[in-house]
Amino acid sequence: MSDEPVEPAIRPVGERDAEPAVRRVDQSDDEATAAAGEDDLPPVSALTGPERRLDPRVRYQWALGAVVGAGIAGAIAAVAGLFLFDDPVTLGGGAFLLLAAVGLVFAVLRYRVWRYEVRTDSLFLERGVLTRVRTVVPYVRIQHVDVSRGPVERTLGLASVVVYTAGSRGADVTIPGVTPERADDLQARLKQLAIVAEGEDAV
Amino acid sequence: MKLHPLSVVYRTGTAVSRFAWVLVIGAVSTSQFGGLGTGAAVALAAAVVGVFAYQIVYVRRFDYELTADTFDLRSGVVSRRTREIPYRRVQNVDVSRNVLQRALGIAELRIETAGGGETEAQLRYVSDDEADRIQREIGRLKRGVAEDETDPQPETTKELFAITARELLLLGVVRVDLRLLSFVTVLLPIVIPSVSETFPLLDLLRAAPLVLGGLVALALVVSSAAAVANYYGFELHRGADELRYRRGLLQEYSGTIPLDKVQSVSVTENVLARRLGYASLEVETAGYAPGGNGNGSQSAVPLARRERVFDLARSVEGFGEVSFQRPPRRARTRYAVRYSLVVAFLTAVSLAVVRFTPISPPVPALSPLVLLIFVPVAAHLKWANLGYALTDDHFVAREGFWTRTTRVVPYYRVQTLVESATVFQRRRDLATLVVDTAGSQGFGANDARALDIDVSRANELRRTLEERFQTALVATRAENAGRRNRRSRLSGSTPSDD
Repeated sequence: MSDEPVEPAIRPVGERDAEPAVRRVDQSDDEATAAAGEDDLPPVSALTGPERRLDPRVRYQWALGAVVGAGIAGAIAAVAGLFLFDDPVTLGGGAFLLLAAVGLVFAVLRYRVWRYEVRTDSLFLERGVLTRVRTVVPYVRIQHVDVSRGPVERTLGLASVVVYTAGSRGADVTIPGVTPERADDLQARLKQLAIVAEGEDAV
Repeated sequence: MKLHPLSVVYRTGTAVSRFAWVLVIGAVSTSQFGGLGTGAAVALAAAVVGVFAYQIVYVRRFDYELTADTFDLRSGVVSRRTREIPYRRVQNVDVSRNVLQRALGIAELRIETAGGGETEAQLRYVSDDEADRIQREIGRLKRGVAEDETDPQPETTKELFAITARELLLLGVVRVDLRLLSFVTVLLPIVIPSVSETFPLLDLLRAAPLVLGGLVALALVVSSAAAVANYYGFELHRGADELRYRRGLLQEYSGTIPLDKVQSVSVTENVLARRLGYASLEVETAGYAPGGNGNGSQSAVPLARRERVFDLARSVEGFGEVSFQRPPRRARTRYAVRYSLVVAFLTAVSLAVVRFTPISPPVPALSPLVLLIFVPVAAHLKWANLGYALTDDHFVAREGFWTRTTRVVPYYRVQTLVESATVFQRRRDLATLVVDTAGSQGFGANDARALDIDVSRANELRRTLEERFQTALVATRAENAGRRNRRSRLSGSTPSDD
């Protein structure tokens, strides 16, 4: 038995050998990436790319998140201020302004630091303002790739690519702030690269 | 195949005992209102009969089968479920039986696969022999040996390890839950004053060591009892391509650890065990192990001489001699600073307490500063126990003073590599490299990592590990392909010596 992951789990012994050769060609039209062999895939060099930064609009996404977070914290501080000092404005407003300012600075800094690179054997990410993190995800280890678009991302015309591995930090690998076209393209590339890398057993 | 008929009785028993509290409440309320007695009794009897009937149907409709390449399961009374588990994906097959189950001659069998926190197949319950048979059969079918052929590697299990009475008792001593003791030391100053009030003869100074001594003894007894109950008769055998263990006094466990699914092995020695020259071995697979500690790692050797443990670890993952590299000395400075800050914080708290509350302790408020003496020692011990090494096929990382853990990850099992540097690390040009493997459910807790190494070294290490991972991948793939070819050529009659 072969160990390809695309193969259905259950298959009577010998069915693979009995399969007509023509069927593969039929399949390769609509299921090009799933059923076709390596020869149908573009060469790895066409799939990889140079180091890339995120779309600048991601700053607005993060800034908005920071402002909303600061707003919530400010509201809590205002309530606390009301009960403790009978003055909701100073504490609440102060907390809001401070947190919002910090959040905005971080949004800009985070954007400056963020890098990702689709390399030959692995996906490479660099990010983090306070804690600088560099992650290497070998394509063989990719379980699946999601493209997600939250409401804010949709408004700004952005998307996130989430790469899952079997590791304990699986969902940690997210590339935010890419355009939807770029996200779909990235998803397709990663899928193809994972197939070329031919993950026999991802675990 | 069907479940054992007696499982109806046992399952009814467990289900009824689960709502036993209803019985108790019912009994109490009926004693208050005499008239309700018969009605309640009838209702309860009906409930028990109902449960019994349900369990009969459940057991009758539960069906499992070992096919050529999957383990099939059909179950469910109202909604039916059919499940097929390919043998290749099976991680562990575990059997457990408690005292009652042993008296009835039945056992619970669980099959674990990677991913998903829950058990994929749970047979409650089958006969003892059937459980052993399923365990053996799955092992055999996984190797791809057909039924009519003679297994070229029949049950030639070799005993690797069996726990001695001495080791079992030592285990109790070594595994004393230190959390209990720390809890006691916190509680003691609160309890003692009230005790000395009621018994004026017992003043603080005389009572404290006594109570502490008594509690240590109690902790020892509890821990020894737990060790004996859990690990009584521990045996580790090596089968064709799996490890098998058996352990337990009251609740008996037996399980398999597939060698080809091992993600990492770790050797753990706490400070006491290290002093006595003992260590324990854990093997991590991607499956969830009920008999283990819940994060996918299984105790392969609960306690043995350190050299023995390393020999056994090498028989699972063939890492050679390891010479650890330590982080640079400035990492030690970092720990000294960190611990000093903790002491400063404690002093601040102590000062605040004395200043703003009526509590007046018998010692001066600045006394936490005495702890500063220990800061250099603590920083050195933390630093001295850190280390990482690259061997031919494995990444080895060691850390921890109280519990020193040495983790061995084959390059082939790397999932992701994460190099990180916090603000404080960057100030000293340090970074941490985490080598993530599959399976560990605890977030980051089980990762092998090189902590606080030089930033350029971390960078280099990340590149080296990635390179070695790719090389290992190619090598393993070639090996697997060769094995498959051999197997198909000989049509499965002689699986390779894996």
